[in-house]
Amino acid sequence: MPAPIIMRLTIERFRGVASFTWQPAKGSNVILGGGDAGKTTILDAIGLLLNPTNAVSLSDADYFGRTVADGFKIEAVMSLPPELMAGQTHRPSWPWEWKNGNAVPPALGDEGPAGDPVYILRVSGTSDLELLWEIVQPNGETDFLSVGLRRAIGVIRLGGDDRNDRDLRLVQGSALDRLLSDRSLRSRLGSKLAKSEVKDELDPDAKKALAELDTAFKIKALPDKLDLAVTGAQGVTITALIGLTADKAGVQLPLANWGSGTRRLAALAIAEQTQDALPITIVDEVERGLEPYRQRGLMQELQDGAAQTFLTTHSASVVSAATNSSLWYLDHKGNIGPLDRKKIADHQKKEPETFLARLSIIAEGATEVGFVNALLEKVLEGPPEQYGIRVSDGGGHETALGLLEALSEGGLMFGGFADDESGKHPQRWRRVKDKLGPLLFRWDSGCLEVNLIRAVPADRLEDLIQGTDDGPGSRLRTLADRLGLAVKEFATIKASAGDSLVPLIIEAALGQVPTGKDSEKKTYSSHAQTWFKTPAGGRELADKLFSLGLWPTFKPTLMPFLNAVRGAVGLPPREDIMP
Amino acid sequence: MSDESVHAALRSDAPLVVIEAPAGCGKTYQGAAYARDAAAILKSGRLLILTHTHAACSVFDSRTSGAGSRVEIKTIDSFIGQIAGAYHAGLGVPKDAATWARQTKDGYDLLAVKIAALLKRYPAIARALACRYPVVICDEHQDSTGERHAAIMSLHEQGAKLRLFADPMQTVFTAKTHIGGCPPLDWGALTSQAQAFERLDTPHRWANGCPNLGRWILTAREALKRGDRIDLRNGIPDSVTIVHADNIAQQRSVFVPAPGDRGPIDAFANEHQSLLILTRYNNTATGLRSAFNRRLPLWEGHNRLDLEKLVDALSSSNGDKDAVAKAAVAFVQATCVGFSGTAFANNLLADVADGCTKRRTNKPAKIQALARLILAEPDHRGASKLLSRLADFRTTDADFRPIQIDALKEFYEACRLKDFATASAGFAEISQRRTYSRPSPPRKAISTIHKAKGLECDRVIIAPCDAATFRDDHLSRCLLYVAISRPMKRLMFVVPRVNPSPLTLV
Repeated sequence: MPAPIIMRLTIERFRGVASFTWQPAKGSNVILGGGDAGKTTILDAIGLLLNPTNAVSLSDADYFGRTVADGFKIEAVMSLPPELMAGQTHRPSWPWEWKNGNAVPPALGDEGPAGDPVYILRVSGTSDLELLWEIVQPNGETDFLSVGLRRAIGVIRLGGDDRNDRDLRLVQGSALDRLLSDRSLRSRLGSKLAKSEVKDELDPDAKKALAELDTAFKIKALPDKLDLAVTGAQGVTITALIGLTADKAGVQLPLANWGSGTRRLAALAIAEQTQDALPITIVDEVERGLEPYRQRGLMQELQDGAAQTFLTTHSASVVSAATNSSLWYLDHKGNIGPLDRKKIADHQKKEPETFLARLSIIAEGATEVGFVNALLEKVLEGPPEQYGIRVSDGGGHETALGLLEALSEGGLMFGGFADDESGKHPQRWRRVKDKLGPLLFRWDSGCLEVNLIRAVPADRLEDLIQGTDDGPGSRLRTLADRLGLAVKEFATIKASAGDSLVPLIIEAALGQVPTGKDSEKKTYSSHAQTWFKTPAGGRELADKLFSLGLWPTFKPTLMPFLNAVRGAVGLPPREDIMP
Repeated sequence: MSDESVHAALRSDAPLVVIEAPAGCGKTYQGAAYARDAAAILKSGRLLILTHTHAACSVFDSRTSGAGSRVEIKTIDSFIGQIAGAYHAGLGVPKDAATWARQTKDGYDLLAVKIAALLKRYPAIARALACRYPVVICDEHQDSTGERHAAIMSLHEQGAKLRLFADPMQTVFTAKTHIGGCPPLDWGALTSQAQAFERLDTPHRWANGCPNLGRWILTAREALKRGDRIDLRNGIPDSVTIVHADNIAQQRSVFVPAPGDRGPIDAFANEHQSLLILTRYNNTATGLRSAFNRRLPLWEGHNRLDLEKLVDALSSSNGDKDAVAKAAVAFVQATCVGFSGTAFANNLLADVADGCTKRRTNKPAKIQALARLILAEPDHRGASKLLSRLADFRTTDADFRPIQIDALKEFYEACRLKDFATASAGFAEISQRRTYSRPSPPRKAISTIHKAKGLECDRVIIAPCDAATFRDDHLSRCLLYVAISRPMKRLMFVVPRVNPSPLTLV
């Protein structure tokens, strides 16, 4: 039987999600995103829709904004094998047609090939804090979505908490219960356990005490002929106490005694054993409890299987191993978008934390990384990481543009900090700008160094050249070399360069190779590192922005970007970089 | 070809099994027994039995009781209606497709066309149905139009096992042209397509009547099927009688046997056993009623063609009093005798036309009273009240006694139209009730062969067995077979000396 597949998922007003629509991929789906974006809520929604029991209690926190009156809805358009449907519903379930990303009622007179058959399943939270599971028919009527059908479709959940033990025990609806599917076990065990002769196990004193109790009961007209036996308790069936055990150094121990990673893998293995079943698999935090080599192994198993899987992760090694999965990013606004594997692969290797942040800012190069980080520290009054913001090196103008395009195409909100490279790719930049708005900052012309250096008043140029640690020496050397001077004195250089001092500094800062000096290309281009082409250099530029009094010039252009970043993490905008 | 081979074929793994089932050979018994057995071993899904009438549904229901929800029994039109209800938006019909079909002319045929097309375009829907109903039994499948057959075959193509019971010699309903371009069911093609084709050939129904008659009827069926004539000269059992009688009626298609020939016919009819006098056309049946001095009622069956015509006319009358009056008069003349133009109808129409202004006395005054009812309510209510008042006058007034109601049930159903908001709503409701209450024929009755299909009685007279009634075409052969297979004990052919039927050899 083919695997059940969620073609489209819609969540409305469930927990922190106001409105969410997603078309996941058929196979393995890995969802990335910063903290509190809602990744676990999505997984929980799927798990709730396909829950194998009706015994779920809701709280008002499960409703968006805690407004219970408005209810919530989780709906999935699913491709399900008809054999599965046939056995499970009292009234017939009629398939819809999947057409252009929508489920539509089949109609006569439609042209083109018929779309695949799909069914619409829904669970709603009512205003009475109750759950209502339904199948929606093409004519708008709804029928009850039975526990039987939900179990037939099946869902495996490896949650983020230690409820994994549930699947290792015979709790109703657990993976182990489904595998063994021994329906009458409960009643057979119940009667067997009830017969156990506990009384005979008592030592003589205890036996005497029990007999005396029996007499006392009789005198007080209480029930008599007392005995001891195994009884269940409120909310705990006898079978729920039965779990898998395995051998550890010759002793049978409950599987719960093994580490959390092993328990997780065990629960998954149990679920996979159930014959003919390809249940939807949900794993929150794939890496939990597992070392990187086991993370990679688990990832392999999950993505190579035939079932549709939904995974979240914060682990870079999981992301690297997810070569056969569809990657998705959930941005801070709650929008989910695809990450094109090809386009982000290189960046993913170099800066794996980009997609694990709440807001990622793609800076064009190393200088920009330092510069932006320094500015953000000022405007956020704390390190950007604290807010889940990560600034990463986009690897150059072309690469950064390609990356921003790939990300913004999917409707995701990222930040960008880039140059204008002689007006190249105006249309592409415009499209990205349209999508990202003020979160994308681009110099109108030139790059960071050029803009800043040009703004420095002539009498402060020497201060600009002054490095942070090792003094101006190496920088002056680069200038002297370009002028062909032996002496690396500022005054000499200034006199020699004359009016072209600033362009000279720019050339050196950018590591430009003078014409005719191609044989010494390496030497000249390495000048850039001496100047600002490092993250530390970028930070230095940010500091000099203020120490050289350049901030008022750049405040109007930089402040919108900084406020956009503040807004993205829920902070109000500011007049100035410091309050 | 025997009960055992049919039993085995049904239970085989063959995906398509066709059983040729002549009347009275135990098809319902075989079908129901197979249904019970098959439902018990179904791994998933249900067994579906599709019939053409609600009466047949009840019969199967009682014979498969105990199978519970594993067996679903519906009419094929209900089944089609159910699919249409689920996909009504894409088919262009309202959500309550079944009611729409009931209230629309040829509604069920139209639905069948749409559903056949839907299942063809969307095999996924047929597959969902085939998974839900892995075994489908069709009763009286010869009555299915091409579209209904196509719809069933769509399920079969998606994996449902089909068991079709049909009698090609009883295809009396699909002769009229129907909506939809699908060619009618091709018996030859169907039997060659089936992996197993068997025939029931034991006349069980006659076990308690006259077994010789049962066997003879099967032989006659074979002759008719081959294209031959039934030989009424030799080899006929004692239970079959031939009476030669001339027709003294003047009107077309009316048969009144000559007094000199009536003796044996009357003697046959007067016996205490149950009787059906069968003929082909409605007006022949009405005429026969007169021939038998109105002592034998008409069996009106389950359709009400004249009532339908009345309802259609009233629905489109739109307050036009003359149109209403004309429709009412037409209905009375169709269902009764004696309401002639000169005696009643012309005066009635004139009074309605001039607004009952003329002063009248005696009988004309009573006619005027009828006319006033239409003037007061020029719609279905007025017409219906007119009919009720007419029926009253019949019993109370000597002037009206010559009016005789032939189609009693139809007439009284028309009288009830006034209780409903519109004529069509009334017709739909009355038809619905009739479908489920399923009246049975009187002990002795006159009937058309169409209306007698599916009935059993002790004795049957076929009158007239002439060339106009039974021509040499497939429909006539089927009608003749249906007629001769109704009686369990005695069969009489009334054959005119002039122009006997080419299907019989006398």
